[in-house]
Amino acid sequence: MTDPAAVPDAAPWTPSPRELERRRVRRRLRVRRILIASVATLLAVLALVAAIVLSPGWERVQVTFFDPEHARESFPALVDGFWINVKMFLIAEPIILVIGLALALVRQSRSPWFVPLRAAAVLYTDVVRGIPTLLLVFLFVFGIPGLQLQGVTNDPFFWATVALVVSYSAYVGEVFRSGIEAVHPSQLASADALGLSRGQTMRYVVVPQAVRRVVPPLLNDFVSLQKDTALVASVSIFDALFSARDYANYNFNFTPYVVVALFFVAITIPLARLCDWLARRVTRREQAGAL
Amino acid sequence: MRSAIDIPLLQATGLRKTYGDRVVLDDIDLTVTEGDVVCLIGSSGSGKSTLLRCIDLLEQLDDGSIFFQGLEVSDPVVDLRAVRSEIGMVFQAYNLFPHLSVLDNCTLAPRKVHGVGRREAKQRATELLERFGLAEHLRKHPDRLSGGQQQRVALVRALCTRPRLLLLDEITAALDPELTGEVLDAVRGLADSGTTMIIATHEIGFAREVASDVVFLEHGRIVEQGPPERVLVDPTEPRTREFLARVLPG
Repeated sequence: MTDPAAVPDAAPWTPSPRELERRRVRRRLRVRRILIASVATLLAVLALVAAIVLSPGWERVQVTFFDPEHARESFPALVDGFWINVKMFLIAEPIILVIGLALALVRQSRSPWFVPLRAAAVLYTDVVRGIPTLLLVFLFVFGIPGLQLQGVTNDPFFWATVALVVSYSAYVGEVFRSGIEAVHPSQLASADALGLSRGQTMRYVVVPQAVRRVVPPLLNDFVSLQKDTALVASVSIFDALFSARDYANYNFNFTPYVVVALFFVAITIPLARLCDWLARRVTRREQAGAL
Repeated sequence: MRSAIDIPLLQATGLRKTYGDRVVLDDIDLTVTEGDVVCLIGSSGSGKSTLLRCIDLLEQLDDGSIFFQGLEVSDPVVDLRAVRSEIGMVFQAYNLFPHLSVLDNCTLAPRKVHGVGRREAKQRATELLERFGLAEHLRKHPDRLSGGQQQRVALVRALCTRPRLLLLDEITAALDPELTGEVLDAVRGLADSGTTMIIATHEIGFAREVASDVVFLEHGRIVEQGPPERVLVDPTEPRTREFLARVLPG
């Protein structure tokens, strides 16, 4: 048999006049869509700006919240403070991921030996998720040093970070668990059929699929954690928010609050884009050519 | 017998579709008249499914035109949903909505797309489901049914909108011979009642029985087309003969 794909075309394909016409129409439609999108966006932004700028109190707000002079002056202190937030986030996040995944796995375990551990995990999630994070921060930062234990640090930064880890591990654990439970039973069946143990099934089949699925909700928790690092301002740690309040109280100007808000936004947006891109890449690789 | 004055229900001319460098459909001409049952045959990758997807406007063509009821539907300004609402499609993998009951699967499009009232939609769906032997499964969710039952539900779901044209994309490819039989019986009933269909299939015997026209595709081109008694029994093209010798037992 000859390979028909190797047979050279008698005449190479050129688009028919109808197709060329159609491409022109498509291009025109596309241009129209872009125009509509631009006009709609412009109108929305204009309306928003007008609503703010034309409000009766705008001049007062502009002076107290958007003063470039105060922004410049408070900037160095805010950067120092924000570094504390970033440091806390960078330390807490990996630990939270590990503990969260461990919690989820413990809750999925079927071995009778793990029953007490499983009960503890359920209790932990239920209790911790019910307590406001701010309260946990208070309890850890003021409560544990109050015990006057030997050889245990009283550093507020340390205990505030622990409070965030404790709180967020419960949330992240539930996210992982929902991801694990969303893996289709047929995957378990085919892993069983290949003779994989339950641990191996989790390690090589279930968890990798689950993790992919939960990246968006995980990111949600990341961003939330990043913002909640500002809760430590309430226990007098000199983070960005505390520095801003400090400055505001001395100078009767709220501009530093806006600057701090911009700091937080500036690191969450790139993180969101990165995660979108990662998720898209996985989808492309695994679903290429599928219907 | 077709007469010259009929306006074809569907007319495709010079269809071309590529994925990157790969030409999947190449200069396809196809005419379907009211009441026709056209069977597309050919090995996997010959372009049968892509042709059906192009006709349902699920894929954008690279060239060529499709006319449906005299209107050029491959025109970019045409409302895709209006066209699709008159064409029914059944997929190889059923594609039923797992979160809806069998009945809700069948009444969704009539109610939301065609504006049929709840009671009327339910009545029509129930009638059709009964006709295809699914009366006792109305309230169940699709995943509780066998493959053959699911595929018959998918068939009913497509029929509930009273499509002018029904596209069946290898609807028995995932089923065992027994279940295949029950689905093919359902399709045979439709053919007998005059439903216009384009069927991509590997069931040569079935094609021979129900088709008014058989189209043999290879590498995205139509090699041969005509009535089944000629194309399937006494083909003129050697490549058709080779294909039939490969797929027909004995």
